[in-house]
Amino acid sequence: MIFAGGKILPDSERSAVLGRLEEDISQTLGGPPLAAETVLDALETLAAELDSGALDGLIARYAPPGAREELDRVRPQISRKTLEDRLSLELGGLGGPRPFGRAEVRPLGVLLHIAPGNMAGLPAFTAVEGLLTGNLNLVKLPHGDKGLTLAVFQKLTELEPRLAPWLYAFDVPSRDTASLKRLAALAGGIVTWGGDGAITAMRKLAPPGCKLIEWGHRLSFAYLSDWAGLDLSPLARHILRTGGLLCSSCQVIYLDTEYLAVGEKFCKDFLPVLERAAASRYQAPGQAAQGALYTREALLEQIVDRAASDDLVFAGRCCSLVLRRDMELELSHLHGNVLVKRLPRKDLLPVLGRQRGRLQTAGLLCPERLREELAALLARAGVNRITAPGRMSDAFLQEAHDGEYPLRRYVRVVDVENNF
Amino acid sequence: MLSRQKLFWLSRAYGLPGSDARFLRAVRDNCAYHIKHCPEYRLICRAEGFSPDCLETIDDLARLPVLPTLFFKRHHVSSMPEWRMAMKVTSSGTSGSFSRVGFDWGCVFAEIPMVLRLGFYHRLVSPVPARYVILGYKPGKQDKMGVARTMFGVTHFAPPVGRFYALKWKDGAYVPDLDGAVRTLSRWGRFPLPVRIVAFPSYLWFGMERMEELGLSVCLPRGSKILLAGGWKQHYAQEVDKPRLYALARKVLGVEEEHIHEFFGAVEHPVFFNTCKKHHFHIPAYARVIIRDVRTLKPLPMGEVGLVNLITPLINATPVTSVMTDDLGCLTPGEDCGCGLSSPYLTILGRAGLNDITTCAAGAAELLGKGEAF
Repeated sequence: MIFAGGKILPDSERSAVLGRLEEDISQTLGGPPLAAETVLDALETLAAELDSGALDGLIARYAPPGAREELDRVRPQISRKTLEDRLSLELGGLGGPRPFGRAEVRPLGVLLHIAPGNMAGLPAFTAVEGLLTGNLNLVKLPHGDKGLTLAVFQKLTELEPRLAPWLYAFDVPSRDTASLKRLAALAGGIVTWGGDGAITAMRKLAPPGCKLIEWGHRLSFAYLSDWAGLDLSPLARHILRTGGLLCSSCQVIYLDTEYLAVGEKFCKDFLPVLERAAASRYQAPGQAAQGALYTREALLEQIVDRAASDDLVFAGRCCSLVLRRDMELELSHLHGNVLVKRLPRKDLLPVLGRQRGRLQTAGLLCPERLREELAALLARAGVNRITAPGRMSDAFLQEAHDGEYPLRRYVRVVDVENNF
Repeated sequence: MLSRQKLFWLSRAYGLPGSDARFLRAVRDNCAYHIKHCPEYRLICRAEGFSPDCLETIDDLARLPVLPTLFFKRHHVSSMPEWRMAMKVTSSGTSGSFSRVGFDWGCVFAEIPMVLRLGFYHRLVSPVPARYVILGYKPGKQDKMGVARTMFGVTHFAPPVGRFYALKWKDGAYVPDLDGAVRTLSRWGRFPLPVRIVAFPSYLWFGMERMEELGLSVCLPRGSKILLAGGWKQHYAQEVDKPRLYALARKVLGVEEEHIHEFFGAVEHPVFFNTCKKHHFHIPAYARVIIRDVRTLKPLPMGEVGLVNLITPLINATPVTSVMTDDLGCLTPGEDCGCGLSSPYLTILGRAGLNDITTCAAGAAELLGKGEAF
């Protein structure tokens, strides 16, 4: 399906829409600019409909199960106040008087979004960020999008018809490089969400001079120092709740120690905590069965894929811990099956430095007296978010995205000299 | 290795526990074969302290290393080189990745008596030619799905004189043609030859609902049957109560309840499970079923609900001796059924919540999609 001009069209219209897209874009960009106020008003109305339950039918029809819970969690992100705060935090001060004249903040023009499929609503959200900065948005829908994005766009443009010429969505498969190239050729910036594969592919398709904005996949971990007596259950609940699937999910629990015996003791102590979190997370038999199957699979993979290793495996009910002897940050077995490694403070910089550019969140658990020192060390190592272990995947208002303010990347600054 | 052929050629279709000794011997040999020829299976058995000698009584089957179907989606393991296999089959991959299971010639040879014996027992075999309407895939070069193979296979129980497929391969995707199927049914219903509908249960359900909606009905000729294969898959949410399905079949197709048969199986466990006249899946002599606790995976006593663990010594090419499906079910003593069979029967009650998985953790998509490039 395609979204163009405020309407949902069948895929058979794609070449016709692409054929006149350049002309349509020039016409839109040549007209009055898109004011942030217009976008904020439309979003406020949309959010009110979401709160009133008017969109529940739409969500139930198009979004995957669990999307409603996820949307409720990110709901504060689209409140008017948050978005206004973001505009002033991220773009405030970029424009204004300068000794030579003035600086103006202008949109990049056209943004092509290679939207992610890992969270319902994110394709719409990336387009909203583009709209807020005054850009015209071309969205390549993710493979698994069952129509939610198109429905949201239609709703939004119904509420505010002035947004219609600024929003396009295409259900182009990633292998259709010809269509993607045509879209990329029209864009001033390409916003790519995805793994290494998607990012490398888009770099090849982008014309030279096109700004690349990449929100790649990340790895996160927990860092525990002097943890005796501290509550480990929020970390356990985080591990079970996100299943290791988010950029901010804990993959490895790092222990600030040199001794393997300390690691073993930690695993023995932590496993029952993790099991309790699993039992409360997986209450229905179908969920528990899923957890048990994933854990069984993790244990088999451990046997088959790491036959030569001397890892220590601690298997629990619907969860497991694997104590590995190296220090590298790597992906865990996911779904409540997490890795434990030693990483003494002195080795932190060189070890994490090897993953620089992939690091995201560190969930820090330590006595208060160590907190500032360790947070500073983690920040130096390249970590972009430092939180309590239980809040690693929580969204914080006004937080940066992987170390950057997104809106700032979707605009450019135009310097204008006075008196010439 | 004749123990397998003895089990499949000599056993009575539902000869439980009479076939126990033969079953155990075949499983022991099957396991020994996989341990010898499949390095991954060898590693697993070693890690879990299992050897074929552990199997002394039928209860010891619970000690076999259990491999979840997910394992076969992520690891394409085999116990013989591809050139020695008769064929390779993939699961329908509702979650995006596929199991790949190789079948050896000995397995194909053992399947023949199993399918025939069960086919005769359940009165599926008939010398009267029939026309087939298949609400499923047409097997073709583009896919190697097990369900397509099963559906094609069952069109041979009565000599086929025509086949209509409702899912057609068009421009790289399957396109359903339910209306075409309805038209074909009305046309064929006017002739005296029996019609056999072979269908995914959910497709049959949607098709019949559509017929009812449009006010259409046909009365298929005497001897017509409905054969359901492939399970309800992702349509559990829409699963209907069976009496309603039977009533609808009678109303819009003119097929009585006793002529509706259901099959159950998996690519990783290609034993031909059939429903009896009371619509129960009794365990045939060629398989054993263990229900396992959803949290501990420990075997559960008769009657309790858990994950379904299927065991068979059918395949030498792939180590699928003991596999854990994503299905939740329970076992009931055969005597409680009333159809005359004494072998316990398996009831499928649901599915472990293995949804489509999407992720943004670095490398996770690749890990989860490890089996996709087949």
